[in-house]
Amino acid sequence: MYNLSSFVQKAQQLLDPTQGLNLSDPDKNPSKASLFQSQFRLPSSQHPLYEITAELTIPPANATQGGKDRDTGFRYAGKLHISEAYLCFSTTGSSFVQSASTSTSSVFTGQTHGAGPGGNGFTFPLCAIRRVERLHSQNFQFALAITTWNGISQDAAKDKDKDKKDAREQRITLQLAGTRQACERFCDGLKKGLRAGVGNVGRLKKAVAECYSEYLLRPEDQKNANPPDVGLGMMFRYPGDVKKLRDRAKMRLWAEYLRDNGRNTTLLRQPTFHKLIRVGLPNRLRGEMWELTSGSIYLRLENPSLYTDTLAKFSGQESLAIDEIEKDLNRSLPEYPGFQSEEGIGRLRRVLTAYSWVDTDVGYCQAMNIVVAALLIYMSESQAFFLLSALCDRLVPGYYSTTMYGTLLDQKVFESLVERTMPILWEHLVKSDVQLSVVSLPWFLSLYINSMPLVFAFRVLDVFFVEGPKVLFQVGLAILRINGEELLDAADDGAFISVLKSYFARLDESAHPKSENPKLRAVTRFQELMVVAFKEFSGITHGSITELRLQNKNSVLNNIENFAKRTAIRNLGPDSKLLNADELGALYDRFYTVLYERQQRDLILKQEQARRVKSSRPRLGAMANSHDEAVEKGRVGLGPSTSLMDYDAFREFLAGMAKWAISDTPATPRRETFPEADRGFYGSVNKKSDVMLSPWGAGPEPADHEFLRRLFVKWDAGANAALTLQNVVTGLARIKGKRDILGIITYFFELHDDDGDGKVDREGILRMSEALLFLSRRGLEGTLSPSNSTLTLSTGGGSQGDVSGQSINERFLGSVSAFIRRCFEYADPDHPNNHFASPQQKQPLVEMDDDQLADPDAFSIGDDDDDEDDLLEMESPAASPKTGPRSHALDKQASSIRLDSMSTAPSNAPSNNRRVSKAQSERANIALDPSNPLHITLPTFRMVVLADELLEQFFESSFPASFHIIEGLQSSATASSSLTTFSNLGLGAGRAVGAAFGGAPGAQAPAGGRGLRGVLDNIVTDGMRVAQEVVRRMEEAQKELERNAVPGQRNDEEDDEEDDDPAPAGKSVAYRGDAERRSVRSSDRDLLAGVDAEASDVTVSAAGTRRASVGQGSNGDNQQGPAGGAGSKVVGVEFDG
Amino acid sequence: MADSAGAPRPSSSVKLVLLGEAAVGKSSLVLRFVNNDFQENKEPTIGAAFLTQKCNLPERTIKFEIWDTAGQERFASLAPMYYRNAQAALVVYDLTKPTSLIKAKHWVAELQRQATPGIVIALVGNKLDLTNDSAGSSGEGEGGGDDANDARKVPTEEAQTYAEQEDLLFFETSAKTGYNVTEVFTAIANAIPETSLKTARGPSGASGVNRSEEQRVNLNGPRDPNAKEGCAC
Repeated sequence: MYNLSSFVQKAQQLLDPTQGLNLSDPDKNPSKASLFQSQFRLPSSQHPLYEITAELTIPPANATQGGKDRDTGFRYAGKLHISEAYLCFSTTGSSFVQSASTSTSSVFTGQTHGAGPGGNGFTFPLCAIRRVERLHSQNFQFALAITTWNGISQDAAKDKDKDKKDAREQRITLQLAGTRQACERFCDGLKKGLRAGVGNVGRLKKAVAECYSEYLLRPEDQKNANPPDVGLGMMFRYPGDVKKLRDRAKMRLWAEYLRDNGRNTTLLRQPTFHKLIRVGLPNRLRGEMWELTSGSIYLRLENPSLYTDTLAKFSGQESLAIDEIEKDLNRSLPEYPGFQSEEGIGRLRRVLTAYSWVDTDVGYCQAMNIVVAALLIYMSESQAFFLLSALCDRLVPGYYSTTMYGTLLDQKVFESLVERTMPILWEHLVKSDVQLSVVSLPWFLSLYINSMPLVFAFRVLDVFFVEGPKVLFQVGLAILRINGEELLDAADDGAFISVLKSYFARLDESAHPKSENPKLRAVTRFQELMVVAFKEFSGITHGSITELRLQNKNSVLNNIENFAKRTAIRNLGPDSKLLNADELGALYDRFYTVLYERQQRDLILKQEQARRVKSSRPRLGAMANSHDEAVEKGRVGLGPSTSLMDYDAFREFLAGMAKWAISDTPATPRRETFPEADRGFYGSVNKKSDVMLSPWGAGPEPADHEFLRRLFVKWDAGANAALTLQNVVTGLARIKGKRDILGIITYFFELHDDDGDGKVDREGILRMSEALLFLSRRGLEGTLSPSNSTLTLSTGGGSQGDVSGQSINERFLGSVSAFIRRCFEYADPDHPNNHFASPQQKQPLVEMDDDQLADPDAFSIGDDDDDEDDLLEMESPAASPKTGPRSHALDKQASSIRLDSMSTAPSNAPSNNRRVSKAQSERANIALDPSNPLHITLPTFRMVVLADELLEQFFESSFPASFHIIEGLQSSATASSSLTTFSNLGLGAGRAVGAAFGGAPGAQAPAGGRGLRGVLDNIVTDGMRVAQEVVRRMEEAQKELERNAVPGQRNDEEDDEEDDDPAPAGKSVAYRGDAERRSVRSSDRDLLAGVDAEASDVTVSAAGTRRASVGQGSNGDNQQGPAGGAGSKVVGVEFDG
Repeated sequence: MADSAGAPRPSSSVKLVLLGEAAVGKSSLVLRFVNNDFQENKEPTIGAAFLTQKCNLPERTIKFEIWDTAGQERFASLAPMYYRNAQAALVVYDLTKPTSLIKAKHWVAELQRQATPGIVIALVGNKLDLTNDSAGSSGEGEGGGDDANDARKVPTEEAQTYAEQEDLLFFETSAKTGYNVTEVFTAIANAIPETSLKTARGPSGASGVNRSEEQRVNLNGPRDPNAKEGCAC
């Protein structure tokens, strides 16, 4: 997806090459921290700080079974690690120091031989260590004796001397092997950690009190204490026959082991530990051991009250997940008596609900109910809650996510393993078209809990929690291997399933019923299964699973994404039919790419920030729990954790497909472009102005313009300040969907009609024109009639090459200017009185006209453009030579623009500016006079747009065409090159705009210098000046209109102007003009109302014919004759159609 | 539903898949059809369940291979794995839950575009026992009376009209009372075109391969073309 992964990789290199964040592929290149965490099953808050080679000596008193003839006790060589809050030792020699290679970090993934990923050793919370002494040793430079809190309650600690017999002290020796410096550094780290851990002792004791082992090994004087809650089994009995399970014997063995090797958090893992787990845990210790081996106890330790806090916090709230949970509560292990009771169902409800709140990405997935129900038989609610968290985050990641990618991925992995280890069976499956995952998916998803009888499923879980997800594969493969013969006879899915069903039903039977050897006969099918799984498939390791997951990951995610896309697009509703399938597909991709890239960047930025905080204050920064640090984001297939697009994302989204949505000032420091508030969080990080840390990533910086905001609000149908895919599709469908110019004009109008009353006021008109300029500043796209460019040649006076593209764009500026003028011309006053106010203010315009007359260039401009001025001119070509130049002011400006951009620096611009004196501006700003409110309506707007060929083409073609949904904008290379073009054009256009609006010389120079954005700023800030020029032009046109309307009076009017005596005559003229204008307007309206009914197709052809009539330079077919210049033209449009 | 047929009739297998929102009663319908049984708290289906049942028609016997899928939204991406090669589909909604009909329509659209061409689809509104026209006793449940304490939220007409538009079989059933359940399956059995039956997949008949070939062409790429790989979603 758009080079996302390479982007992320680059980002990682930039951020921290050694401690890579591994956002894209935590499996391929796992961070040392995550390897460390998974080896010792520690929470993500823990990082490997120091490590050293060491030898662990467990004194004979503590040694299991072996103490009699071995005075020296047990020795284990391995690595000692210290993290923020843990001291860990493991015999599997892996390294997590910064300099270690990936292979030395992940050796633990090799064969475990029952030792599990953690190996033999221990994982002590530092707060569980009571005392560390340095011993004198000759062999090693450093030897530490560590005494733990094991078996010593806080009360007992006070008078421990008396109780010494009861509470056997757990004391182990560690001999460090390394340089003196290394040892000292390690010891310093340990000291610091111990000091920090002191405060947590109380919390530890509390958390540990929930462990059954504390009760089991309680001192004599507490024999009457109540056992802690270890699951529903205490109340409703545990599944299975206690005798058959030999629960008592197991319990005795465990009690002995725990007494010797420490309990719960202070437990030492020795080979016996793993053996004891393989034979099955005793019921009452099962929950505790699951918690310990999965590491969920450390999560609980870290935040003991998270479970109850979460329940309290969200009490009474509702969610989709809760609805789904409720549906399944009564159907989770319904055969177990505990779940036929309100007690059991209540527990299940609370655990699932609490988890759905803390992990909203997962929420609730069917099968979780079954897994949690099973857990609750053996553990308390809070224990189950944390174990579920460990499952979802580490043991079976992605299994229960919204896309279930983990489940699907592991199915693929399983299939590859079957193909590899049982090729004949695999071939048979392929041949008979049996889908393996149809049977195996539920095994994995519910961890065999509802496939096998519960007692056996729990035995699998015992091993699963200590050895990890590979166990699920080993067991699955063993099932197929054992049933291989029968499965080869099964010819279809049905037969395949029934073979396995009957196998699971007979797991407790003898595997070798006919054997003469009684010992062999005693072996159950389940035992056989375990042996096959862990002996025959011992080659299936965490490493091989990881490798296969990586191999299949992309295809699985692609499949999910295709499915999700297909479904999403199909469910988009009727609006989506307006776009074609390719467009919808591309929109979908763009939508989610933007969202996920942003999410990813956000994550990187946050982690970068965290890293910086950490580097200044290591301890604190690391403590900050970043729960999903290693969670991969950025793909739909991983679960749509976000599907809402906020305004910034919307800008980025548009910038990916419309060039007008790209900011004009990408080269300038990014933070200057946007107000501080907009960037919020990024502000602090951005100071480095690191490209990868840009809030916009590698893409172009999106523009921020009022038009974008309006578009966003318009599309945001639900007013959620965020867009869904549906919103985006609906929004674009209206613009791009129907090739309907009237529809788009209406759309544009509505976009600026804030209160939806069908009127756009003065401000709105200016905003519309700003939007038009904004949209056109990178040039127009779509089909524009080529004939125009040749026409403009005559005015240009520039080189041929300059003419083609730019001239259209420049002419568009003229069109926009004309647009404003006409809008005001045809605007309705909000109050009728306003008509009377205007005439007096017209007078100064005459002076301006005179000014223009002085401009000799004006005459040289041809009567080419189809600008309205020309039309007016053409209607009365010879009548008054003076009106000609006046009406051509715009063209002249346009030519000056072109010249400016070619650096020929003509004198036109200053001469233009000269015209606007302060006094004039004060008198002329009728359009801005707040006492003179006016508005335009949709029909007016439509008329004004259709009156201008370029505007019409803009709405008909270039605006819809400017959204490049499918192809997008060119890649960054071309984008940047075109950006230079933009800035060139921007410079020219900038002056053009300034000129067109008659900007003062002082303001104009910086406008050019600052590029287009500066110009736009000018427009906004110098609205007064803009409007004033607009009014001037408006009035100018008005004059024309009046002249045309009343030809006989022309001379009089001219005299009036020359007389410089405005008052009486001007008034009458204005009256007349106004009346005329109104009549024209109303006739236009009627016509347009008619057009409304006939709708789009008429207009399209109208556009063509209108051009022809204009080109002829006569309005021969114009029934209205000289009655109204502007009006007649518009009317012509409609009639021609 | 009689399992004991007199003389041996020509028998053919039909792969049928059940789809629909969670807890609309897909598994219960199957349980009623296969075992004539009803469980109040049926465990949610994880992935999919597989069951078979014969259906005797005058001319022949149809052996339904029923794939009962999980209903929760997130399992939807697994569905293609199950409806692959299906000749018939039962899209179930809950008469008392309008959203479930929307979901059902989505499934119908999905099947029409992605499943075997010519797949016979039946739209089934379940939980008729919760409505006033409760069918178990009254027998005829058509017409949908809308009384005050009627839990029905989806009028018969609405679903019926939709079914006619889309050319689906349509039934309202109650898995609890058993009303109309067998009828659904019988109607499907009758609706399976003869031609499709002749080539119906016997025990791993060659036609199965053919069908999957067709489907490959049909899939237009979104799915892993390698049809044999199970979790091509």
